[in-house]
Amino acid sequence: MSQGNLGIEPEVLKAIYGQMARIRAVDKAIQAGLSAGKFMFTYWPMTGQECIPATISQLTTERDYMVTTYRGIHDQVAKGVDLYGMFAEALGREDGVNKGKGGSPHISDPKSGSMVTTAIVGAGAPIANGLAISAKERGEDRVTIVNFGDGATSIGAVHEAMNLAGAWQLPVIFMCQNNQWGEYTRIPTYTNSPNFFGRAEALGFKGVQLDGNDPAAFYKGMKEVVDHVRAGKGPVFVEAITYRIGPHAGVGDNYNATKEELAAGKERAPLEKTRALLLEAGISTEEELTALEAAAKAEVEDAIARALESKPTPPSETIVDVFADPDSVPQRGHFPVREAEGELSGDTESISMAIAVRDAQHIAMTNNKEVFILGEDVGDPQGGVFGTNKGLQTEFGDRRVRPTPIAETAIIGAAIGSSIAGMKPIAEIMFVDFLGVCLDQIANHAAKQRYMSGSATHAPLTIRMQLGGGMGGFGAQHSQSLEAWLTHTPGIKVAYPSNPVDAKGMLLSAIDDPDPVVMLESMMLLYTLKGDVPKGEYKIPLGVAKVRRPGKDLTLISYGYMLNHCLAAAEEVAKDGIDVEVIDLRSLVPIDYHRVLDSVKKTGRALVVHAAVEFCGLGAEICSTINEELWGKLKAPAMRFGADYAPMAYSNAIEFSQVPTPPSIAARIRAAVKS
Amino acid sequence: MATTLTLPKLEMSMSEGTLAEWKVEDGATVKEGDVIYVLETNKTARDIEAPASGTLVHKAASGETYDVGTEIGEIV
Repeated sequence: MSQGNLGIEPEVLKAIYGQMARIRAVDKAIQAGLSAGKFMFTYWPMTGQECIPATISQLTTERDYMVTTYRGIHDQVAKGVDLYGMFAEALGREDGVNKGKGGSPHISDPKSGSMVTTAIVGAGAPIANGLAISAKERGEDRVTIVNFGDGATSIGAVHEAMNLAGAWQLPVIFMCQNNQWGEYTRIPTYTNSPNFFGRAEALGFKGVQLDGNDPAAFYKGMKEVVDHVRAGKGPVFVEAITYRIGPHAGVGDNYNATKEELAAGKERAPLEKTRALLLEAGISTEEELTALEAAAKAEVEDAIARALESKPTPPSETIVDVFADPDSVPQRGHFPVREAEGELSGDTESISMAIAVRDAQHIAMTNNKEVFILGEDVGDPQGGVFGTNKGLQTEFGDRRVRPTPIAETAIIGAAIGSSIAGMKPIAEIMFVDFLGVCLDQIANHAAKQRYMSGSATHAPLTIRMQLGGGMGGFGAQHSQSLEAWLTHTPGIKVAYPSNPVDAKGMLLSAIDDPDPVVMLESMMLLYTLKGDVPKGEYKIPLGVAKVRRPGKDLTLISYGYMLNHCLAAAEEVAKDGIDVEVIDLRSLVPIDYHRVLDSVKKTGRALVVHAAVEFCGLGAEICSTINEELWGKLKAPAMRFGADYAPMAYSNAIEFSQVPTPPSIAARIRAAVKS
Repeated sequence: MATTLTLPKLEMSMSEGTLAEWKVEDGATVKEGDVIYVLETNKTARDIEAPASGTLVHKAASGETYDVGTEIGEIV
């Protein structure tokens, strides 16, 4: 049988069927095991969608990157993830490809090119862009394929990612496996769109609709797509039409579908059709196919049997893989001593924090060509809304300083993906208040990638966020102090410098750090506070607090711009003979409890002050630790002082009183030393 | 080797299910893939297929609700 009649090389069709048979064997074994109660885990069946990854596997290699979703076992199998490691992972065992810490919805296996698997619908698309950026910038011919279902086309992350990929002409394929169902809800209940591929054209790049159940047609269409993307001609959106025979989760048939729909879906199912075609066309004999299917079944049975023998991942692994160094993890009773920076020497210059941040980025970009900046308006002449990148685009070019669409999820996702590939992105989010529009990428992806993957991959990106409050005029949505949102999420480091010297040195540490770091930059400090900043390169380590003012009566603990209010308050009460020791935390995660507790042991009193809302703020955590650790040695319980529980007001009269001020801090100190 | 049949957990929210009906008699021969019983959950009734071939042994009565993980039968 010639290719002319089939539209595909017989050997390729056979290979596609081989992958489909492996996928089916895995699917059947999982469904049988779940039905028998042999094992228990949540399964999102992809029965009926086998042809899509099986075909892609013939057009890509392990060098090509894949991002997929929880309904992605078929994608993993065809990509070449080892079945033993995959089953052990699904069972939560220590031999799992991700040490049993991620499970089947979070497979990350860089060896096969399966980089990220997300259980958040649509969230993989922004990350795929980042992987594609790395390939493009390194001049590699890899393509990145991000799989998602039709349901994901409704979520903002996919739209943001498509727009950015179009704008930057990234080598990425948006593989929409249109199985007609968004979880339990059908088309057209959730969308009135006549199709999905048309959205690509609207965003200025190529979109195609292919029959994802016909291997010959799909192979032909996908070959053109992969060639196009590999050749650097920009992204492509593929709408692969298929049908999900199973339910959203569980086993068996899709019980939301009508009998007729299900029968029609089964009629079109690719595996049986492909098998018949191989026989009909004389490419394979019945014996060959039976042997191939038996081999797939044996491979799967062997993998499951061995996986069931692997030990459940033990609790001793709990804090391993949160960060590169377990000592960065806050732990009760364990307060590691981290070495402080040495005396900073050499020439200094009196500059603002904005210039210090700019200089740090200049040094990092000069040292390492894989450091790049992305964010809204970061290009010249303005160099960012706060001018912290001024001149950098002019010097390093527009591929290393990338102004982005107004799309924070796309920004953070691109930074995550490129950092997973080993680049060193610095993402600027101009106000911490915008955390809400990129928190999923930060909290569910950047913070968790190392853990969920058992350190198979990690996302060492740097995020810079400016924040306000107490300055007047920015209102409730541009003045918040949201550091506790970040510190409450395991896996993300948070730096919050109080001065230009620390800002420069901590940013250089953050960029080199093996973990994701958010550096918070106070708007109040960026231009108003100058410091004698050492010229050239130096680092301030993360997780090392610093005594700003020695004292003996009370330890005042703060960070960021509020630290400067604390110093002013300390001088104020010094007039009354109260000698306050002021500690600048500098890093919130990792936190330096060693130096904090050492100081409070000496003074016997502690007051934690922050601009963030007092209720459930970081002050509560720090006070609780001091009270628990030093109970019996304290002259008074540790206390906290933060903003009133209210949105930041526009009225200056309210705003300037709702956050702590030097006089109100001084009043608290006086009250504390009396007790 | 005997295959134990326990009441499966088919969905995240499932903690119990009703063995609505045995579709195959106690002691009868089943082939892998045959529907052996109907399981009712709060969502729907599902046909559960035999995970192996052999002789089906009932160990739980139909019409009753059981916790996930309860042994309800065996294929020997």
